[in-house]
Amino acid sequence: MSRVFLHVDMDAFYASVEQRDHPELRGRPVVVGSPPNQRGVVSAASYEARTFGIHSAMPSVEAGKRCPHAVFLPVDMPRYKEASETILRILERFTPLIEPLSIDEAFLDVTGAIRLFGEGPEIGRQIKEAIQAETQLTASVGVASNKFLAKLASDLEKPDGLTVVPRTPDKIRAFLAPLPAERIWGVGKVTRLHLSKAGIVTIGDIQRVRLDTLASLVGRHSAHHLKQLAMGEDAREIEMNVEEQSISREFTFMEDCADREELEAILCDLVDDVGRRLRRVEKYASTAHIKVRWTGFETITRQMKLDPPCCDDFQLRKAAMELFGKVELTKPVRLIGFGVTQLHRKVEQQLLLFHDGVPPERAEKLSRTVDQIRSTFGPDSIHSGRGRRL
Amino acid sequence: MKLKVDKTAMMEGLTKVLSIINPRTTLPVLSNVLLEAKDNKLWLSATDLEVSVQTTVDAEIDTEGDTTLPAKRISSIFRELPSQEVEIDVDEHNSAAIQCGFSFFKVVGISGEDFPPLPRFEGSRNYTLEQGVFKEMLQKTSYASSADETRPILNGVLLSFKGEKLVVVATDGRRLALVEQEVEFPADAEGDLVLPSKTVSELLKTLHDEGQIKIHASENQVAFEFGDMLIVSKLIEGTYPNFRQVIPSQCEERIAVEREGLLNAVKRVSLMANDQTSTVKLGFGKNRLQISTETPDVGEARESLPIKYEGKEIAVSFNPEFMMAPLRFLESDEIYVELTDDLSPGVIKSNVPFLYVLMPMRVG
Repeated sequence: MSRVFLHVDMDAFYASVEQRDHPELRGRPVVVGSPPNQRGVVSAASYEARTFGIHSAMPSVEAGKRCPHAVFLPVDMPRYKEASETILRILERFTPLIEPLSIDEAFLDVTGAIRLFGEGPEIGRQIKEAIQAETQLTASVGVASNKFLAKLASDLEKPDGLTVVPRTPDKIRAFLAPLPAERIWGVGKVTRLHLSKAGIVTIGDIQRVRLDTLASLVGRHSAHHLKQLAMGEDAREIEMNVEEQSISREFTFMEDCADREELEAILCDLVDDVGRRLRRVEKYASTAHIKVRWTGFETITRQMKLDPPCCDDFQLRKAAMELFGKVELTKPVRLIGFGVTQLHRKVEQQLLLFHDGVPPERAEKLSRTVDQIRSTFGPDSIHSGRGRRL
Repeated sequence: MKLKVDKTAMMEGLTKVLSIINPRTTLPVLSNVLLEAKDNKLWLSATDLEVSVQTTVDAEIDTEGDTTLPAKRISSIFRELPSQEVEIDVDEHNSAAIQCGFSFFKVVGISGEDFPPLPRFEGSRNYTLEQGVFKEMLQKTSYASSADETRPILNGVLLSFKGEKLVVVATDGRRLALVEQEVEFPADAEGDLVLPSKTVSELLKTLHDEGQIKIHASENQVAFEFGDMLIVSKLIEGTYPNFRQVIPSQCEERIAVEREGLLNAVKRVSLMANDQTSTVKLGFGKNRLQISTETPDVGEARESLPIKYEGKEIAVSFNPEFMMAPLRFLESDEIYVELTDDLSPGVIKSNVPFLYVLMPMRVG
């Protein structure tokens, strides 16, 4: 039996919540994120703001230039979380097979719900109605036979859209053919460039090109992946309870910073914060990375393996410092970040005889003790000599 | 070069030098064994440029000379020869005629001049030991050295001559084995040598229980002379980690355990441990040691041993392989396990100057 997947994507979510809660903002360009006179970026822009070319991840300064009369608001996460929860409860009335992708979008497998609520498009309509009625927010919904197509579809008729992808292979291919290649998940700037050099611009072009030719452009693995998606094939299932795959934090300077000591102090604080969150979810990381954005927005990342996987501030700091130590400060730094990926629950670990500094098992105990002190007496009650609380 | 040699004696000699040859060498002459007929003996040498081994075989020398012959082929030939007396006749083109009974072989060799000469060096530090003692010291420690090539120094075995003692240490960073022995040597010969694992296994294979061994060491090379053997080896460069620092000065509990009983129990219980995450738990309670393991989706195993113990309850997990290794090489009936808690190093001792430090596995 053919499957029915929905992708529900809230429209300009943060900005819409703000406009809902502040009626005077409705119909006006609203930007949620850093103020225009400060460093930092746009987290969300209302559709009114988008007409000025403002989009998320754009520096706020730039957004302020494009639309000086826009209303800038700080991110109010608790309120967005609350709205997100309400929406999740609505989705759960239709199916238990829900995979939230982020605070404002989710996949649903409604194959089994059709008997109760009607065909896929009908369920999509009912979900949109319920969200509108109960949260006064609009969602765009994509209805298709797999996750890839559903996500692609929800984006086609934003805002307040309901896009239904045809179900037969021929029609799916025809539906995809005119769309630009970068609509395919995984096709970023670099891949697009490689493809366009070979005259591959639309998904239809990818459908027609030989697999070998494609492989010579993007590599065999990616080529296979691209070809499948271009044909509209995607066998991924709904993943429930997806565990956190990465934890990271970054800091944007008010003024670009070229002082290594200052940068290291900030980095230490970011590391401690990531460490605390890692320990809170009872995970151990086996990869650490740093991110450095220079004046002018050029960004580099550096990563290394953590072996054995760890979660204590000492190991994480050592990794961060080692990575940062290799970065030459040729320009002032605008943003610095630290993160961990490849997280796992650890079952057992061989302790070691020799180590530089604090033994890992003691380091973890110590880090957990610091977490407890902070949660009891406040975040500033204790910190190491190196960092400077952000 | 022309000589007569006994088949069995020649096989023994070849076996001693053969294992040093690197089967993947790119220099053809290094696949060969050097044969030198001189001083009424046949000298056999092999090298991989790190370690060189030389031994002698009694032979009846007709004409002195030298050549090199493919080691593997020549040893296969000798193994299969039909009778004891073998005649080897090498012409000026390094073509060796081997005659034994009615069998005849012609083996093409390479000139002895192409063979790298055995390193000669002035040993500034010289030691003399009993072969049997030295062999036992290596046996009791070398298994603990590391196979991971990221820290080359830990691939070796440390010989530390200090304060009228020889201390032999091997560690892979997770467990450490140490033996010490009083040895006489001049005070100015104090110092450390780190032997490559290949050299150690060559020693273990060729050392006898009787007789003496002479060790000559320079800054970066070492030579071992014993019986009819000479082994010359490069030393692993670098500083060996400060092993004294990781030996607990005192543990809270010391428990006597019957060695074979413990070894067999751990062996049985570990049958239910997983290959990747291998752990056995040792639970010390009043007069009882329980060894157990539990592997999700595989199963579990438990076994109890009676012990004399009145101390605090301790449950600590170890890699079973690391636990069993020293028990296999000790001879005493009883060993001592010293522990403090589940995260501190455990120590295994015996009634001889042997010490094994083992880091626990942290579980959960």
